[in-house]
Formats: sequence, C-alpha cells, structure tokens
Amino acid sequence: MVETPQEVAAVLAAHHRRQAVQAVLIHAALIGACLICLYPLLRMISVSLRPGDRLISTDLALIPAGASASSYLRVFKETEFLLWLWNSLVITCVTSFIGVSLAATGGYAFSRFKFPGNKLGLTLLLGTQMIPAGMLLLPLFLMIMRLGLINTYLGMIVAYSVTSLPFSIWILKGYYDTIPRSLEEAALVDGTSRFGAFYRIVLPLSTPALSIAFLFNFTQAWNEYLVARVVLCDAQRYTWTLGLFELQGQYLTQWGMFAAGSFMVTVPVLLIFLYSSKWLISGLTLGGVKG
Amino acid sequence: MISSLLQVLEFVAFLAAAVAILELYLHVHFSYFDHPWFVSATVAVAPVLAAVSGHSLSVGHLPSLVLAAAGIQLVSALVFRYVVRGKHSLPIMLLAPGFIGLGMLIAYPLAFEVYLALHDLKLTTIMAWSRTGHIPFVGFKHFTNVFTSSPLSSVTFGWLFGRTIWWTFINVFFHVTGGFILALLLNNCHRFRGLYRTFLVIPWAMPQVVAILALRGEFQSQYGFINIMLGRLGVAPVQWLTQHSLLTCTIINVWLGIPFMMVIILGGLQSISKHYYDAAAIDGASAWQQLRHITLPLLRPVLGPAVTLGAVWTFNNINVIYLVTGQAGGTEDADILVSALYKAAFTFYRYSYSAALAIVIFLILFIFSILWLKFSKGSESVYG
Repeated sequence: MVETPQEVAAVLAAHHRRQAVQAVLIHAALIGACLICLYPLLRMISVSLRPGDRLISTDLALIPAGASASSYLRVFKETEFLLWLWNSLVITCVTSFIGVSLAATGGYAFSRFKFPGNKLGLTLLLGTQMIPAGMLLLPLFLMIMRLGLINTYLGMIVAYSVTSLPFSIWILKGYYDTIPRSLEEAALVDGTSRFGAFYRIVLPLSTPALSIAFLFNFTQAWNEYLVARVVLCDAQRYTWTLGLFELQGQYLTQWGMFAAGSFMVTVPVLLIFLYSSKWLISGLTLGGVKG
Repeated sequence: MISSLLQVLEFVAFLAAAVAILELYLHVHFSYFDHPWFVSATVAVAPVLAAVSGHSLSVGHLPSLVLAAAGIQLVSALVFRYVVRGKHSLPIMLLAPGFIGLGMLIAYPLAFEVYLALHDLKLTTIMAWSRTGHIPFVGFKHFTNVFTSSPLSSVTFGWLFGRTIWWTFINVFFHVTGGFILALLLNNCHRFRGLYRTFLVIPWAMPQVVAILALRGEFQSQYGFINIMLGRLGVAPVQWLTQHSLLTCTIINVWLGIPFMMVIILGGLQSISKHYYDAAAIDGASAWQQLRHITLPLLRPVLGPAVTLGAVWTFNNINVIYLVTGQAGGTEDADILVSALYKAAFTFYRYSYSAALAIVIFLILFIFSILWLKFSKGSESVYG
C-alpha cells in the first residue's frame, strides 16, 4: 500500500510519466497518419515545381532543386485547362441549381405535410442510393444519344441533374424539421398562403442548409469522371477531370503539367469540403440513424 | 462555345416552362375538380393541346397522340374528381417536378434496361436502332450469356463475383479498423485535435479523380514513390500496376475510405459519456475491457449504418479500378462486377449484354440487402 507522502508522489510521478509517454506515442502515430494522408498532395506540389528538364527523376525532395513554376505556365499555354474548368463550371452550376430547387420544395413537402406515401417516398429516395451508378449509366447514355445530346453540355446536365437529388432532399428535410412551425403559423394568421409561408419564412431561414445542399451537388458534379468519359468525346468539351486524365496518360513527360493542374483544382475543393464537412456528415448519418 | 451556352439557357427556360405548365395543370385539377363542367372541359381541351404541341414539335402519329391524350386526360380527370378531391394539393404540387424528374432519369432508364437486356443492341445494330428505333428481340439469351461467356476478354462471371465479395470485405474491414484506430487516437489526444482531424480527412476531401491518378503515379514501376523506397532498401522493382493491380487498387481504396469511417466513429465516441469509463475504472476494468464492454456496444448504432453504407459504396465502386486499370491494354485482374459492367458497355460496346449483367448485379445487391436487413434486425432483437 502507498502511505507516506513520498510514496504518493512517486506513484503520481510514475502515472504522469506513463501519461506523457502515451501522449507522445499518440502524437507520433497521428503525425505519421497525417503524413500518409498529406503525402500525395505534397508530392503533387513537388512534381509540379520540377524544372522542365528534370521532370522524370527519382528525387524525393519536397522542393526540388531548381524549382520553377514552368509547369503551371505550360498547363495554361499548352493545354485547354481554362476551357476545361469553364466547361465543368457551366455544367456543374446548372445541375446544382436544378438539383437544389427541386430538393428545396421536395424536402419541404416531406417535412411539413402528412400525405399518403410520405414514408414510402422517403424510403424510395434512400433506395435509389443503392442502385449501382454503372447500371443507370448505360440506358441514360443511350437516351442521351437518341436525343442527339452526345458531346454537349446539355447531355451532361441531363445525366447529372437528379443524381444528388435524393440526398439533397434528405438534408433539407432534416433542416426544415428543426425550424419551428409556429413561425409559419403566425404568417398564416397574418394572411399569407401556405406557399407564401414557405417562400417568405422557411426558405430565407434555411440559407445555411440550402448552401450546403448546393455545395454537395456542386462537388458531386464537379468531381465526376465516369459519366463525362462516356458523354463527352471532343477535347473542346472536356471537363477538367477528363482533361487531367488525358494529361496523366502514359506519357511521363506531362507529369509536371498534370501535377500543376491537379494542385490548382484540388485546393479550392479541399477548402470547400473543410468548410462544409460538418454539415455533410450530419446529413450523411441522418438517413441511416433515423431511417 | 456561345451556341452551347445558348443551348443551356434554352434548356433552363424550357425546364421552367415545363414546370410552370405542370403546376398550372395540377392547380386547375386541385381547385376546380368540383365544377360540373370539370371532366368534360378538360377532356375536350387536352386533345387540342396535344395536337397543337405535337404539330409544333413535329411528332409523327398525330391521330393516335390526340386519342391517347383524350384517354389519359379522362382517367386523370376522373381520379382528380372522385379520388383525390383536392386533398394534399400543396405537397403534391411541391413534389411533382422532382419526382417526375426522378421517374424520367431513374425509373424509366431502369425499365429501358430490362427492355435492352431482352433485345440485341450491340455495335452492329446500334446504327439501325438510332435510325429506326428497332432492335431484334432475343429473349433471355443475354442472361445465360452473362454466366457462360466472359464480360471482358477472359475473366468469368464467377471469378468477378468472388473478387467483388473479397474486395468489399477486405476494404470495409480495413476502413473500419483503420478508422477506428485513428478515431481512438484522436479521441485520446487533447492538443491539436482539430488540426490532425483536418489533415486526416484530406483523402476524402480531395477530388477522387486527382487522388487516384496521383496515387497511381506513385505505384509506377520506375519513378513512383513505392518502388523508389523499395529500391533504396535494395528490393527489385515491383510491377504494381500490371502484376499486382488488385492489391494496388485495394491500397488506394483503403487510403480513400478510412477518413469517412474515422469521422463517423469519432462522432460516436464523443457521444459516449465519460461516466461509463470512470465507473469502469473504479471497478478496475482494464483498457481492453473498457473497449470491449463499453465502447464497442455503444458504437453499434453508429457503426451499423456506416458499415452498410460503406459496403454498398465499395461494392459499387468503379472509380478506383477503372482509373487504375481502365486505359487501353489495362489488366482485368482487378475488375469487380461493376467495373466489368462499365468496361463491357463502354470499352467493348456490348450494350444488351451489359444490360443483362447490370440486372444480375442489381439482383445480387438486392438479395444481399434483404439478407443484411434480416440479419441486423435479428441481432438487434438479441441485443434488445
């Protein structure tokens, strides 16, 4: 047994030592894991800064000897990088706009009204998430071909427009559920219509959730590759994912440009994600936990 | 570029007009269903509108179009008059555009897929199909083909199926274990937790295409990081992308998937009250016992849905495998069912065959989810 003050102090000291050792180990493990997670990004920076005559090398230094920004300039000069970004932007903005407007009204209907099929509708929306993407792609592709929309913005917009809709409806329904009904009731007493109450009261209050739904739709479409590969075939219409894939190709000489382009695309996406991740995660788990 | 922008604007305007017409239609049918002239008037108007729009869009078969419009409108008017009777007008009007969109872009393609699987659409018949809309009917030939001939050039359906199960199991296993370890570390770390968490979610936050392509580069046999490091240790270069493609894809996918599980599990860990651990510590429970008897049981409600979601995502994951092995001459040693489906349709242009394969895959997934639901319901009742 521990009795004297010296012995107590010794035990406490041993305890603190153990805790300190444990903390060091935890930090070491976490730093290691962070490095693994960051590694491709760091390597991308390193490759993108390599000078033109030393693109292919087994050098592993973060900042290569004779670092230069030539790869960044070459991406803009020798490829259609800006055009690819522009194509992605047009397609993504239109699809997100369509998706969020449909989800905003649909989510409200599910949140506020009891109607036959309310539960079933929500379950079916979750069910659509089980359908393999590759399965829908073939008939969609043939429909788009039949409509003459291959290699157009429109074909991409049609193919993307509802993919994120079920999830967006779930996020927005969850958010509407947290807005007290008394606000709308007050507006109804004052003489607004039901739709007016939604449009004037609930919608403005839901700006955070609407922007999150927009960001979700946006990143989904912005990062998409497989549909674009099938629908677009002309380099003038490529989205940036297709463009970068071409650059990465088999030719090692374009590694620098690939790395530079990737880095420039990744940074804004990372920032958007880090900003919105808390919301996205709660939305993602909502369906599973509540449903 | 300008013309395609105009096309997009035109489409948005068209969409807005279509939604407006739909809402107007619903509004009339919800508000005026009780008027004596409701059924006769709408049935009289519908064929006229159909004729006008059919003529202006130059659709063929005008008489049958007019007849169909009248028939459909008669049924719809009767339903609105005697069944719906103006009830639930607002939710239906709010949901109609979205659900019609989902119907056209999810339900209709699924039905079309079944049609495709029973007919014969391939590279030799597709030109005739896009001109006349006709494809020969072949019955269940493609469904038997799925099991007897290879979806790609040599790998069989059985192999692909087994590999898919293995791929899903291994990936989810490492996602959950890796995510769990990292979440425990983060939960026991008091300084810089937010900073670590930010760095650790990067694989999830990065655009997948960039992450996969960048990692694929690191597996390149001569200039990739892995072989450079192996070389410094004196190991001969390994042909990751050609000879060990499944392993390569698995490593990449594990790297991509751990952050999601980590975040979900960390959320679960933080919601467990500290009191349980204090009480257990007073009773002399070891760290392992606390983990086994407090943490794991209390994480179940969080882990269950996350594992289900993760398994479905992994089962359906085309991105990693296609981006690593998809280019001309790529290996098929890493393909799972869905990536083989994508390649069969868009690399080998076997449309009807892949439609049948898609339906088979869908049924497999469906059976698995039913079993999974039964199984998890059963275990829930055991745990109370």
